[in-house]
This record gives sequence, C-alpha cells and structure tokens, in this order.
Amino acid sequence: MELIPSLDLLNGRVVRLTHGDFASAKVYGDAESVLDALHVPRGARLHVVDLEASRSGKPVETDIVRRLARRDLIVQVGGGIRSLDDARRWLDCGAERIVVGTAAVTSLLDALVETFGPERIVPAIDVRDGVVRTEGWTREATVNMGELFARVEALAIPEALVTDISKDGALRGPSFTLYRELRKTTRVKIIASGGVSQTSDLVSLARLGNVSGCVIGKALLEKRVDLNEAGARLATADSVPERVIPCLDVRGGRVVKGVSFENIRDAGDPVECAMRYEEEGADELVILDIEGDRSSIDTVHRVAESIFIPLTVGGGIRSVEDFRDTLRAGADRVAINTAALRRPELIAECSSEFGVQAVVVSVDAKGGYATVRGGREATDVDAIRWCRRAEELGAGEILLTSIDRDGTNSGFDIELLRAATSVLKIGVIASGGAGALDHFRDAIEAGGARAVLAASLFHDRVLTVGEVKRHLEAEGIPVR
Amino acid sequence: MRVTLIDSPLANVANIARALRAAGAELELTRDPAAIAGAKKLVLPGVGSFAAAMAWLGETSIDNAIRDAVAAGASLLGICVGHQVLFDASHEMGRTSGLGILRGEVHRFEGPLPVPQIGWNRVQSHSPLFDNIPANTPFYFVNSYAARDAEGEIASAEYNGSFTAAVQHGRVFGVQFHPEKSSRAGLRVLRNFVTWN
Repeated sequence: MELIPSLDLLNGRVVRLTHGDFASAKVYGDAESVLDALHVPRGARLHVVDLEASRSGKPVETDIVRRLARRDLIVQVGGGIRSLDDARRWLDCGAERIVVGTAAVTSLLDALVETFGPERIVPAIDVRDGVVRTEGWTREATVNMGELFARVEALAIPEALVTDISKDGALRGPSFTLYRELRKTTRVKIIASGGVSQTSDLVSLARLGNVSGCVIGKALLEKRVDLNEAGARLATADSVPERVIPCLDVRGGRVVKGVSFENIRDAGDPVECAMRYEEEGADELVILDIEGDRSSIDTVHRVAESIFIPLTVGGGIRSVEDFRDTLRAGADRVAINTAALRRPELIAECSSEFGVQAVVVSVDAKGGYATVRGGREATDVDAIRWCRRAEELGAGEILLTSIDRDGTNSGFDIELLRAATSVLKIGVIASGGAGALDHFRDAIEAGGARAVLAASLFHDRVLTVGEVKRHLEAEGIPVR
Repeated sequence: MRVTLIDSPLANVANIARALRAAGAELELTRDPAAIAGAKKLVLPGVGSFAAAMAWLGETSIDNAIRDAVAAGASLLGICVGHQVLFDASHEMGRTSGLGILRGEVHRFEGPLPVPQIGWNRVQSHSPLFDNIPANTPFYFVNSYAARDAEGEIASAEYNGSFTAAVQHGRVFGVQFHPEKSSRAGLRVLRNFVTWN
C-alpha cells in the first residue's frame, strides 16, 4: 500500500481544516519546509489540495505545485477542477495526476478520461453515512455510491480516492467498514483518506486488500505517524502474525471464571484446558492467579510442563523474588499489576534482572483509571498515562483489560485500546469484553492491539481458538 | 537417537530438554567437556547475554570441547544465544568474540520497530532442518540481536529488515527462534535435527 502524504494549501501555506471548515484552519508553515520535515522518500506520491480553488473554483497555488513537481515526487493535485482547462493548467504545472471531486459526478469525468487518459484521473468520492457529498461536502450528490463506482469502473479508472467525511481530521481511525463494503461492490482500488491517526491504521488498511494507497495529512503533520516507522510496520504486516491468547483464571488448582471478577464458577482443569488450547492453535497462554496469593505456582509448573507455546503468568507478583520464582516454575513472561502501581520501580528492577521480554504489565482499566486487586479497588492513576510510564520503565508488553467490559461479551473497548496503542511502541494485548468473532477483528484492526485475549468464551466453548483464527485470517489479518 | 544437551546455567535447559524428548531424542544432559567433545549430536541452548554465555563456555572449556566435537564430525544445533555464539562475534555491549564456527557477526536490530522482537514471525526456509514445514511458517522469537545475510543462511525473517533466522554450515545448525516454544513447527525442527544424518 502506497503512503501518500497530503498537503492542503491555503494562501501559500500548509493548513488543516476540521470537517471542511475554513474558519478552523490550522497553519503548519510553507509547503517546502513542511515537506522537508516529513522525510518523504524519493519517488513517493504527494497529494496536494488547493483549498481556495476548491472553494472558489480559481486555482491559486500553481507556483507551489510547479516547485513541488520539480522534486523527485509524483504530484497529484485536487481542488476545484471544473473544466478541461482547469485540469490542463495543473498538468502543465508538472502534476502527474489530477483529483476531481465535484466534477466526478458530472459528464466532465468522461471528457477528462478521454483527453488525458484514465491513469491520470483520480476521482475523489466523499461519503457521509453512505451518501456521496459534493461542493466542498455541502451538498448531497444526485448519484448514489454504487452508480458512481460503476461509472468509474466503466471508464477504466484504476483508483478512486474515498473519504469518509465524518472521519476526516478527527484522528479517530479510518472507516474500515466503508472500505470493506467497497471491496464487495467494486473492483476499483481505493485510496483511503480520513481518520488515520496511528501506524496500526495503515497496517489495517493495507490488510483489507482493496486499498492501494492512503492519503495521510493531519496524522503526519501532528507527528502521530512517522513515514519511516510506518514503512517498517507495513513491511511486516503479513509476516508477523497477530496472536490469539486464551486466559486461564486459576484458583485452588482449577480454572474459574466470573463476571468482572465476581460470581466465580468452575471452568475445568488447567492442564487439560492448556493442552486443548495449544492443539486448537493458541499462540500463547496466560495464567492469572485470581487470589493474588501465589497459591497457583504448582499449577503454573504443571501447565508449563505440558505445552510448547509461551506462557505468561500473573497475579500476586509483589517482588523481584516472586518474579524469579514464577519464571523458575516455567513461565516465559510474568505479568505484574498491583505491586507495580504501588511501586513502579518494580518494573525497572524486573526488566533489568530478567530482560524486557519477560515483563508484561497488566493494566485493569475502569472508567479510564487503573484499578488494583482485580478491578476491586480504584486508583486515581490515569490508565493510559500508566501504560506509557510502564513502557518507559521497561515493560515489554501491556495486557490491557477493560474491567467495564469484562464478562459482558459486548466487545473490546476500542476507544481504550486506541488511546493506548496510539501512544505506545510496545504491543498491547486486548482483554475484556470478547463475545463474537468480529470483536477480535475490531480489537486488532481498529484498536491496534497485537494480541487478543479471552477466557470464558473459550472455556464455555462458545467459540474455539481455531474459529477466531480462521475468522481473522478471512478478514485479512495474518495468524499463525 | 542420542542427543547431548549442553547443560548451560544461562539457558532454559528444562524446556529444551522436554521439547527434545518430545521430538524423539534420547537425552544426555552434561557440562563435562570430555563428554561434549566426544558427542555425535550436540545442542547448545542459550538465553540472555552473549558475553555471559561466552564467558561460561570459556571458564568451563566447553568452547574448545564444542570445536573439537565439530572438527570430529559431530552435528550441532545452537538455539537463540546458543545460535549467536556460533558466529565470529557479537556487538552486544562492545565487540565480543564468539566460537567462530560460522562466519559473520551479530548486530542489534536497528530500526523503528521495538526491540526486542517478542513474538511469532514467519520464516522463509530451505534446508533439511525445515523438512515437512510449509513455507512461511511462524516461529517464536525473543531477540534484540541477530545476524543478517549470514553465510549459510537457510532461513530468514523480516524485522527492521531481513535477518538470519537459521543457518547451516556442514553439520552445524543454528536457529535464532525458540523451537521449544514454537508448538508443532518447533518440535518438527527439533525432530528433523534429531533424526538427521
């Protein structure tokens, strides 16, 4: 998938509007210095919008486009193109492609394709709630989306720029649903636009299969996305599988499960469960000692002896010694929670003693705050700030549980996940709320999680690990 | 098939022993240089620091025992840091010399992805070590350092660029991943080594 930096120009400067409102313009500086700061790779495509032209129909930023086109970049220009002459003017400035919005729904599209060829025309289709909008998003178009894409396809235009207006500039994530829907209805490749706010959004778009490019504006300017890092993540988008992790909540040598850590009931033998989950394709196992008194150390040992996948163990780890004992019992990684919140240095101590890879920090979030003792006790520590601090101190991964969602089967807390994954470099395991196959997809695709965890859903055989993995794979998310 | 597992205190020996047994090995666990020098099939495990691993091999004279065994035609499998020490050197905290059985040096992952790499990663492979394992099968990795484009590379993976996931030079093999944590595919690699002639 092509990463296409986007520069919106107004009065010779790079700006961003929110929801297309000119009064909201935020100025970032002149085009060339902004471009230099973004470290755009040579030969990349650049998306330029002349905002004044899109409002008044009069192209004003021709000098800037001419200068940008002289660089080793493929420039595509949009904004107020309403005639063959408008298009020609931009192409004469050195633009390789022109982006046509309002014009795309008129007969001009046919004339443009006939005159300049389908490869040089990029129709921009703005959508809100499934309806195409025109005239700077103010008007509802007279054609529906299906008809428009049928025309684009008939004209042999390879790509269309599709913006979900409600997502644009809002930094809440792109419209995966819209693009997935288009995969079923058109062969036209999509250049996604709007809502990208973190690197995982780009990985998720690339995995959809029909998205050939992504225009990134605000997220780049606001330094939420770095082109170099995004390139590296995209290079592993297919090779690093996302993980499905069953969790065994253990008490008194048995697997148990309750809603929000209450109403505990028996759910089986830990060794039997563990072996079944590995057989079904679990990528890792988590054991949580819900008593938090380290009484399950023998269970940990028995489970570790019966599986050949990584094992993470948490619950009641209060010291470096507890941590070491748990590793000795056969855990590969150890999750710490309450003790780390009370004394954050414990994370650094364990990390330097046993390595970053061994340290998982478990964060139980309730109403945005971290809780301790399995969600039973509130703190005044902001959950996301705590995640960042844990990363700084040497956590290798965060196990992020939404206590609000735990046991509800209503889906993972995507907003909480995005808040964490947008600020962390280390991975996040999504936990709490899984109830259906799409929930797992959404946690990874929209939430940016690198692993998904569930307990009762698997214990009760509502879903199997294998079913979840097959579903993720069918949705384009690589699994082992 | 008899396999001699080097009982390093700097390794997850118990897990590897269990996996090797599951892969059909008849296991001898030892720190005795003479037993190692005379072994026909050796496994060298290792986790943690390269320098610490080399220091222990030096203090115990197991370094020379391994070289002697290889010179006498033994087959050898290095795992994780046990794979890294087979090379000429590592650049973990300055340059530390390795066993020099394989040409090449081990470097830290440089790039935007978080280090260490923790998790599954698909491996492109071609070698008897990967017999009956489909292309692109993921294995479990935990590493901050890796060799790149090593001589004798038989498997590679992608993390901040391509790196060497496994090597083979004659009868000497090394794997950067953890076969003992890589479920069925990992056990298959161990079985291939155990039964290899």
